[in-house]
Parts: sequence; C-alpha cells; structure tokens
Amino acid sequence: MRKPRFAWPLGLVAVLFIALVAAGCGGGGSSGSGNNNATTTGGNANASGGTIRIAIGSEPPSLDPGLATDTTSAFVVLNTNVPIVYLGPAPDLKPEPALAQSWDTSGNTVTLHLRKDVKWTNGQPVTADDVVYSWLRTISPQLGADYAYQFYGIKGAQEYNSCKPSAANKQCDALKSKVGITAPDKYTVKVDLTSPQPWFLQQLSHTSFIPVNKSAVEKWGNKWTEPGHYVTDGPFKLTQWQHDASLTLVKNPDYYDASTVKLQTVKLNIITDGSTAEQAFNAGNVDVNETGWPPSDTARIKNTPAYQQFPSLGIYYYGFNVKTITDVNQRKAMALAIDRKTIVDHITQTGQVPATAFTPKGIPGAATINSESTFLKPTADMTLAKQYMSKVSNPVKNVTLIFNNAPGHKEIATAIQAQWKQLGLNVTLKQQDWPQFLKFLGPPPDPSVGAFRMGWIADFPDDINFLSIFQCGSGNNYTNWCNKQYDDLLKKATAEQDQAKRYDLYKQAEAMLTSKSGDMPIAPIYWYTFAYQVAQNVHGWNTNPMDEIDLRKVSIG
Amino acid sequence: MLKFVVRRVLWTIPIILLVIFMTFWMMRAIKGSPFRRTERAVPAAVMANLDRKFGLDKPWYVQYGKYVKDVATFDLGPSLVLRNQNVNDIVKQHFPVSAELGGFAMLLAIVVGVPLGILSALRANRVTDYIAMLFANLGFAIPSFLVATLLIYEFAAQLRWFPTNGWDTASSKVLPVIALSLGPLTYFARIVRGQMLETLQQDYVRTAKAKGLRWKRVVVVHVLRNSLIPAVTAAGPLLGFLVTGSFIIENIFSIPGIGRYYVTSVSGRDYSTVMGITVLLSILIIVANMIVDILYGFLDPRTRDART
Repeated sequence: MRKPRFAWPLGLVAVLFIALVAAGCGGGGSSGSGNNNATTTGGNANASGGTIRIAIGSEPPSLDPGLATDTTSAFVVLNTNVPIVYLGPAPDLKPEPALAQSWDTSGNTVTLHLRKDVKWTNGQPVTADDVVYSWLRTISPQLGADYAYQFYGIKGAQEYNSCKPSAANKQCDALKSKVGITAPDKYTVKVDLTSPQPWFLQQLSHTSFIPVNKSAVEKWGNKWTEPGHYVTDGPFKLTQWQHDASLTLVKNPDYYDASTVKLQTVKLNIITDGSTAEQAFNAGNVDVNETGWPPSDTARIKNTPAYQQFPSLGIYYYGFNVKTITDVNQRKAMALAIDRKTIVDHITQTGQVPATAFTPKGIPGAATINSESTFLKPTADMTLAKQYMSKVSNPVKNVTLIFNNAPGHKEIATAIQAQWKQLGLNVTLKQQDWPQFLKFLGPPPDPSVGAFRMGWIADFPDDINFLSIFQCGSGNNYTNWCNKQYDDLLKKATAEQDQAKRYDLYKQAEAMLTSKSGDMPIAPIYWYTFAYQVAQNVHGWNTNPMDEIDLRKVSIG
Repeated sequence: MLKFVVRRVLWTIPIILLVIFMTFWMMRAIKGSPFRRTERAVPAAVMANLDRKFGLDKPWYVQYGKYVKDVATFDLGPSLVLRNQNVNDIVKQHFPVSAELGGFAMLLAIVVGVPLGILSALRANRVTDYIAMLFANLGFAIPSFLVATLLIYEFAAQLRWFPTNGWDTASSKVLPVIALSLGPLTYFARIVRGQMLETLQQDYVRTAKAKGLRWKRVVVVHVLRNSLIPAVTAAGPLLGFLVTGSFIIENIFSIPGIGRYYVTSVSGRDYSTVMGITVLLSILIIVANMIVDILYGFLDPRTRDART
C-alpha cells in the first residue's frame, strides 16, 4: 500500500491564503476610499474639492464622435470635446456659440465662423479643415457610421453615403467631392443644405458633428479613442479608461474657456446594476448615481434630498398597426381608454408627464403645436371611449400588443391590457428581446401585431425630429399609416423660415395624429423625465432635455 | 498516458470547429441585427455600409470560412457593437478577471466544501451533520443574485467593511468570491458527504477496520480517496461554469469580467464577440475535462488502464 498523500487540502488553504495576501498587497486601495465615510445621503467629504465620482450605467461603446450613438458615449464625448454649438437653456434651446463663434444663414447656405483659440490636446489648432475632414469621414460609406444620416440634410451627403466603394470604381470619390461642405479659409466652414432647414444650427449641437483630430485618427486607427491617443479639445481630457470598469477625465488647462471649469477630476464608475448603483451612492462611494435604481425603490428615493429630476424631449407611446386595427374609431377608443396619470403615478413614478399629444411639452413651440390636440386627456375617458367603440362596425377583438423586455414595459402593458379589456378587447401581451422585437416591427410590421410600444428621444430640439417619424416610408414608422397630406405639411415646414408659420404647419400635422379629427395611428402615453441621485455637496448638476450632461458648470464641495 | 493526452488534444480540433459552426448557425437563426440597438431606425444605405464593413454581406459559408481561418491565426475579429475594440482586446482584458474570480470561488468552494462534506459524513445524523447540511441546502437553494444583493446591503452599504462594487483592491474581491462560491461549495459538501457515506459501508473499509488499522488512517487512505471521484468529476465542468456563469455576479458587483460580455453580446447580436468567447470557453472546458480525466487516473488506476 502506498503512503497516503492527503496533505493537498492543507496545501490549497496555504495557496488561497498566499493568493489573498498577495492580492491585498497588489491592490491600489483607491476604491475603498469611500468606506469610512458615514454619510447616508451619498457624497464624499474629501478635501480635494474638485473630484466628482459618477456611477454610469454602461461601458461607452465608442468615444469616436462619428460613431457614438448612445447617451453614455455622448456624455463623455461632449465633455471632452467642443461641439459646433451648445444648446442654450430650455425651453428655447437656442444655439449658442461654441466652436462656431458666429454664423450666417442665407437660403440653403450656412456659414460657420470658428473660434481661433481652440486647440487640440496635441497643441495643433482646431481649424475648418478639421471640420470638413471629420464630417466627410462620418458620411463616408467606409466608416459605417450609424449617424451618417444626421448629415443627409447637407447637399450630396446621402448620395456619398449610399455609394458602394470598391477599388475599381471612382464613383465614391466623385460623390465625395460633390458634398456641400467646404472651407473657404482656415476658420470658415460653408455648408450647402438641400433645403433651408431652419433647425440645422440646433442640429449642429449633436455629438456626431463634433470634429475629430485627423492625425490621431490616422495614426492609431480604431484605437484612437484610447487614453493617450484620444486627442480632443474640450473642457476635460481622458486620462484613464479601464474598459467596463472606469474612466477618468481631468480638466484640460488648454480648453479655451478653462477658467469657468470648476472640477479638476471626473471619475466615471461603470455600474450596470441599478441596485448596486443605489447602494454605492448610499455608501458614499459615488457622488452622483446616473445609472438609476430598481423601479420599486423610486417611491422611497423620491423622498430623499438626493433625488433630482429633469424634463426630457422624449415620448413613450403605443403605436397601432393600422392595417390590423383598421377602424379609426377603435384606435380612438383605445387611445382614450388609456389612463396615463395612473401609469405615471403608480408605475413609472419619476415625474413623467402624461402625454396628450405626440409633440413633447418641452419642444420649442409646443404650446402652439399642441393647441388643437385636446382630445386625449391625462386620465382615461372610458365613457367617450365606449362611445367610439360602439361606432366600430367590425371591431378587432383580439389584439396582440408587443413590447421589448426592458424593465418597466410589462407593468405598463399589463395596466393598459386591463384598461382595454373594459372596451371588450382581449389583449395578448408578447414580450421579446430587442432584436426580435424590431424584426416584428418592420417596417412594415408583422400582420400579427396590433399594437406596439415605442419611444423617441430628440436628436435636436425641433418638432420635425418627432413628426417626421410618421412620414410615409420613414424607417421609424411601424404603424403602416401613410398620409400624403401629412407628408406635404412636413415638406413645407422644411422650407419655412418663419418660425410662427412653421409651428402652424406642425400644429396641423400633430392634429392629423392625435386630435379629435386625427387618424390616431399612435396613442401617446407619457413624456420622459431624467432622474438622478445627486449628493448634497454637488452643485450645478443639470441635464438638458436632450439628455446632455454638461460638466463645465458642475462643482463639488 | 502520453498517447491518451495526445489523442485528446487532437480530438479538440474537430470539436472546436463544430462549436464554431453551431454557434455561427445559432446566432443567425435567432433573428435580429447587431446594428439596430436603439429606437432609431438606420437608413438602408447605412445598414449596407455596416454589413459591408463587417463582411455580413457575404454568403454564410464565406463568412464561416474566413472566421475559421482568422481563428486559426488567433484573430477573433472586431466587435460589431463596441466599435473601437477587437474581440482579442476584450478577451485579453476581461478573461483574466473572470478567471481570477472563478478560480478564487472554486478554491473557496473546495477548501470549505470538501471538509464540510467529510465532517458531515463522519458525524452523520448528528447535530454537526444537521447544521452543515442545513447550511448546504440553504446555500444551494438561495440564488446567487440574492446572496450578492444581501452581502452588498449588509457588508458594503451598512457595515461598510467592503466596497459595494469593482474589482481592484483585495477587499473589493471578498464579497463577489463568497457570493459566487456558495453554490459550488454546498454542492461539493453534499456530493462528498453522500459518497463518503456510501464508501463507509464498503467491505474493504470493514476489512481495514477489522485488521486493526487506525480509524484516521482508514478514513484518509480508504474512504476519502474513493469518495472524491464524483467531486473531481464535477469540478471540471464546474470550473468552466464558474468562469462563464459568473455573469450575474459580475453584473451585480460591476466586475469587468468576460461573463458580462458573453450575455450582453448575445442579446446585442454581436456575432464576433459571441463566437470568440464561445471558442475560448470551449477550449477551457475541454482542457478542464482533460485534466479531470488525468486526475481520475491518479485517484483510480483502473480508469487509466482502461483508457490508455
């Protein structure tokens, strides 16, 4: 018999012990800094005064202004770069000078005069050539930018973006040279649009128009957004990015308006789980919780001083497949039967506003635009709904309602299912993961779909960004609803320079959707809000209705 | 033994090819595009540019062929969603974190679970056994996300002994390792206890006892050695599971591991990331199973003879 060798469990204990000790020695000790802090409302009392720690909900998928499409990436891009224009305060959200110090518009042409004191972090000046290079890069079919369509209002941009590049044909090069973006001198950019598009200047506040540094892009390829490679010109610069864990931004002393920037360091901690983010805030490990929290905690958090809420240019709505639910009276009955107030008071709970029209309340001109849309009310009007329902000769009794599986949608769908049941409708709820959901939506939607959940947050603060969703052939129009008269109204609006007249055209379009005489291809539910937990010692935290967080005005201490 | 190992290693090649093929096929069978992530529709021209850029406009067999060729040169391709990262970068940065988390959890599970099972079996149907098994059953029944949330609430948010999230300092690693190890720990305890009880009934144990061998020696040499085989069998796949299955723990503690990427890339239809991680994990599990087979040989020479 061999000698027993059963010392190995002991050996493992020893290995584990050594490993833990080794890990302890190797650790940096930074994340434990908030542990001794005993405040219950979050926030740290550190002496540096200029360091803010923010919990963000995801890894930014791309810090390339041409490729960023989500709000987390946009948050970092916007605070490390200078946009062409900033948006002024709500409700007007007028364009304010940023990289473009001033501008002239004449017909279809916009001329931007750039600041001369904006410098890249590598010391080079930011010039009109940078803007032209960056815009053409984003439009180019080779980059594969989602937001290339933001540029489609510029002459020749759509054609260039749609060409099929190959080594043999020079078609793309020819189309590139025809795009209406030029630099007459070092600090002037001339843009030729396809129509006047009075909102174009506000649209320029979007991150996709932010110029990139040509030398960094060419030197590092798709790695140019890593710390050390990421050449930018904004209030902060990226100094550290541990993927999926954290990013550090440090004040850029060469930013043209550096004296107004108060924060020294911004530490972004990626915490995807809402419950953990809430605990991290409560434990004082972060100063701002941007990630969010489980919906069930909303009622409690709302009563803490840390709770801050901001209006949004966004809408949560249900659309109808008008080829399935063909009778307008049934659609009206269903829209009337929705109790919006109950949904925002008891389900969403973060100050959302019951939406009685599609155009968000905060959009410039909303008071005029929505003036005729008084048919839908915040609460359900079951009597009127039943009246409309009784007018339907062939009601569709079995309705399939589809929605994606993000948190909160099911609770709302269940509530509306019960409300529609009162109209005698048998509603089947169908929840799907996002890509599947989109396959069902089309456009055109699957014939089985009766109603669906959707949402929209503005790209730029003009109602055209909302109303154009329901144009015939729009990729976002999942309703099968197509009305030439509606399209004509919007077409007129793209050329209408006079603001009052443009708002009037929008008003007519909105009325075609949601007013008493409208076609009701959709049922608006609520207008979004943005909510955060912000520590008491953080000042100036602000989110504009486009979900843009500008850290220039934020301070801590 | 060498011949056996060589044969096993060679067998992994067709298995990996099959894994790639099946993942490739399944990712395309579930509908959806990696380029539609938001509520904004993407114009057809933009979609065509994206498909062209990432080669999705080619027929499936061309895509598959190219992928296999790239994998052979250790190039897992670009991520379709994280637009400035390659799958190689993602694996390089995040796999070690998951391996560390899974490794520590496995270690803790063995170091605590195995002795717990032994203790229970030796004190069968006594108070120690009942307490240990109550703990084992509870630990097995309570889902890890609940344990994780409770641990964060109690030890991070209330007592503030540990940070609520992250994976940088030693103290930040304590709670996630405990939360992840609890399931396998109790599994080991139960499996070792059960097998020990069975072995204790065997004739050769009675013989050893009868010939006057010290009880401690009987347990260590005869009982334990033969009771560990099922635990070792379970350990191989479990290690794979701990590394891949730590998604929930990684998500709750915001740990930058690969498990999180795995799940989010499936729901985001990030084909290249899903396939890259699948290939990596299949290699891991194949290797883990191979090690188990070799360990078998030491614990039970009969299996070695039968296989070589």
